[in-house]
Amino acid sequence: MSTTDLKNPSSSPTASLLTEANALRWEMGEEYHDSLMEGIYEDAARIADRSVTRSGERRRFNLDRAIDHLVTSKWTGFPFMFLVLAVVFWLTVVGANVPSGLLADLLLDTVHPMLKGAMQSVGSPWWLTGVLIDGAYLAGAWVVSVMLPPMAIFFPMVTLLEDFGYLPRVAFNLDALYRRAGAHGRQALTMTMGFGCNAAGVVATRIIDSPRERLIAIITNNFSLCNGRWPTQILIASIFVGAMVPAHFAGLVAAGGVVVIAVLGVALSLVVSWSLSRSVLRGEASAFSLELPPYRPPRILQTLYTSLIDRTIIVLWRAVVFAVPAGIVIWLVGNVTIDGVTVAEHFVNWSNPFGLLIGLNGVILLAYIIAIPANEIVIPTVLMLTVLTSAINGVGAGAGVMFEADSTVATAEILRGGGWTALTGICLMLFSLLHNPCSTTIFTIYKETGSVKWTALATLLPLGMGFVVCFLVAQGWRLIAGG
Amino acid sequence: MNSTFVLIVLLFLLVVLLGFVFWPGKGIVPRMLLARKEKSRAHLEDVLKHAYDCQYRSVACTVESIAGILQTSIGNASQLVTRLESMGLLERDGSALHLTSDGTSYALRIIRIHRLWERYLADETSVREADWHRYAERQEHLLSPADANALAARLSNPQVDPHGDPIPTATGEIPIVPGRLLTALEEGEFGRVVHIEDEPPEIYAQLVAEGLYPGLQLQMIQRRPDYVRFEAEGEEVLLATPLARQVSVTLIPEERRKRGPFATLTAVESGRAVVVTAISRACRGQQRRRIMDLGIVPGTRVTPELDSLTGNPRAYLVRGTLVALRKEQTDQIFVEPDAGVA
Repeated sequence: MSTTDLKNPSSSPTASLLTEANALRWEMGEEYHDSLMEGIYEDAARIADRSVTRSGERRRFNLDRAIDHLVTSKWTGFPFMFLVLAVVFWLTVVGANVPSGLLADLLLDTVHPMLKGAMQSVGSPWWLTGVLIDGAYLAGAWVVSVMLPPMAIFFPMVTLLEDFGYLPRVAFNLDALYRRAGAHGRQALTMTMGFGCNAAGVVATRIIDSPRERLIAIITNNFSLCNGRWPTQILIASIFVGAMVPAHFAGLVAAGGVVVIAVLGVALSLVVSWSLSRSVLRGEASAFSLELPPYRPPRILQTLYTSLIDRTIIVLWRAVVFAVPAGIVIWLVGNVTIDGVTVAEHFVNWSNPFGLLIGLNGVILLAYIIAIPANEIVIPTVLMLTVLTSAINGVGAGAGVMFEADSTVATAEILRGGGWTALTGICLMLFSLLHNPCSTTIFTIYKETGSVKWTALATLLPLGMGFVVCFLVAQGWRLIAGG
Repeated sequence: MNSTFVLIVLLFLLVVLLGFVFWPGKGIVPRMLLARKEKSRAHLEDVLKHAYDCQYRSVACTVESIAGILQTSIGNASQLVTRLESMGLLERDGSALHLTSDGTSYALRIIRIHRLWERYLADETSVREADWHRYAERQEHLLSPADANALAARLSNPQVDPHGDPIPTATGEIPIVPGRLLTALEEGEFGRVVHIEDEPPEIYAQLVAEGLYPGLQLQMIQRRPDYVRFEAEGEEVLLATPLARQVSVTLIPEERRKRGPFATLTAVESGRAVVVTAISRACRGQQRRRIMDLGIVPGTRVTPELDSLTGNPRAYLVRGTLVALRKEQTDQIFVEPDAGVA
């Protein structure tokens, strides 16, 4: 364009062309985008018909449909889904025991005393050894040994199911529920992922493209009982719920108790989704489209590699980063004394009345505060604190040092010694389901939403619900049982 | 010694407090002043918009009508008018008020932002239809013209807002929308809805509930003094005349008429192949793009393959791929039987 054009645009040929184009735009109307798209598809289809030959497609097709009818039909769809999920969880819980034990042997029972000995031999003062080895190292090592094996089993299995094409069918089956809750059908997938690890579940919400529905999925992911909480549920259920019935029913009833808690979590995630989509996150449901890909043999090696790198390692690294400072805090509250009494005891005594009001106790409240990096270290912290505050002799590994009892019976003795009842057990199971997400998940929520407000809501909402539910259960229980 | 220390601390606190109250841009007082200024600017802009609207509908704009629109006193309204006059945006002619040419382009700028924002809410967000207007009323005073242009570019320069009102261009041009009132359509004629008046909101909500939206094709069946009856998307709709007057339509020439009958994809029984004839214009923005991205465009063969437990969602075979769609989407996809199969 020459300088004269710039100075006097109205007379230039370019400007008059633009004006004409603008006028034509109004005449053309809005539908030309659609017509363009139709045209492209028409051309593409014509070219494909001319140059692509299809043979033998019919047969493979029918096999797919046969599987689809099995996994989505009225009578077999849901039982099949529960069966698959049950097998995945069973393999995770049972299969993780062996490598977890090996890692614990190595990191906790061998390396830990070795490091402690080495520190003492170079003449480090007791408090430095305590903070670094009993605090920071122990917490980090504990998190690795209890988190790594279940995640390394659970995530590859889920990824294999996804790769095979089954998970989209689960979303298809469950979409009706989520639609009524005002949420996206793919939330079923992120919820399943949350059963493995909530932080991974929150990352998985990236598959939901509507921001509103994605936030709902992020906030409610914590209601999926994660790997770190299953062992707590199983332990407490077998000690307190199983003990309420005759011995030969104990196992069954305890398992039933855990299932009830997990199902309650799913139900609450739907209820909370429903109320969120009618209050702070109200809006219209976005277009739901879900591709149901053809079934294909999973690529095992690739799946192992990506699920280990993408999910397990990242989540584990974050957990360790948070566990190390928390380990230091755990050791300090057990060892720093004010007026001859440890900080832990001060807090436990002060918060105990409130804890009892909601069916818990001061030890549990403190454990949930200082064991925020990982749900896995809640029970070791509870045991350490119980021994510390109730003066039980002969067990434990010293003030501020987390430990696990050798057997369920030994754990039960320690907890009963700490004044625990069946009500404490049930309320702990409920509180384990309904409390703030672990710090790794909170940090992940912040990274994914980029908002302090939503992170705070996702953190405080389940905590508030936990207080209310535990309070109601405790008061109801005491009213009926007269305790 | 001790009292000096206390005095220093108190003075320090006082300085902090003063900073908190008066800090330029961030303190409480500057913020309150700014908020007041913005509120009064919003009022001035609302007056200009109202004046433009009066001009557009050829009714008189007066101090009284301004007071009514802003829900404020006559005194307040006349103060606003005086200020606009001194700014050279408004002229008084007896009791009637007119926009100057500067005033018109200012008003169009505000209207442009309002309609762009409504378009953005409709296409890109999941904000409910009933909230669009209210949110846009707030946003129109906050967005700068540069922001508005960036938004327009992002939305690929839409021409009309979701109610069918034309969006003024960045240079302040606004076309006269062709069309006549729905009540002026002769019996038997085909029309396409081009505009639905979005005020008052209660009436607008009623029209939306009747299934009307810009782009809807309809055929007038019966026209009476107190009501009209027409067919749209295979259903008969009866509308009282006051409601029908809120709707404008254009005549559709024979060759651009969409073919009936209008069966939706939802109603097709499983396993029966159909061909898509149209996607309802009520399906907009991202949702429309997503459906078309899946390859569902007029002419595509679609077969319902798989029912879920409740029948919603259903999975459809589209171009060799199985895709699950909710009923809310398939209700907006019109089909006819596949001639090749039947």
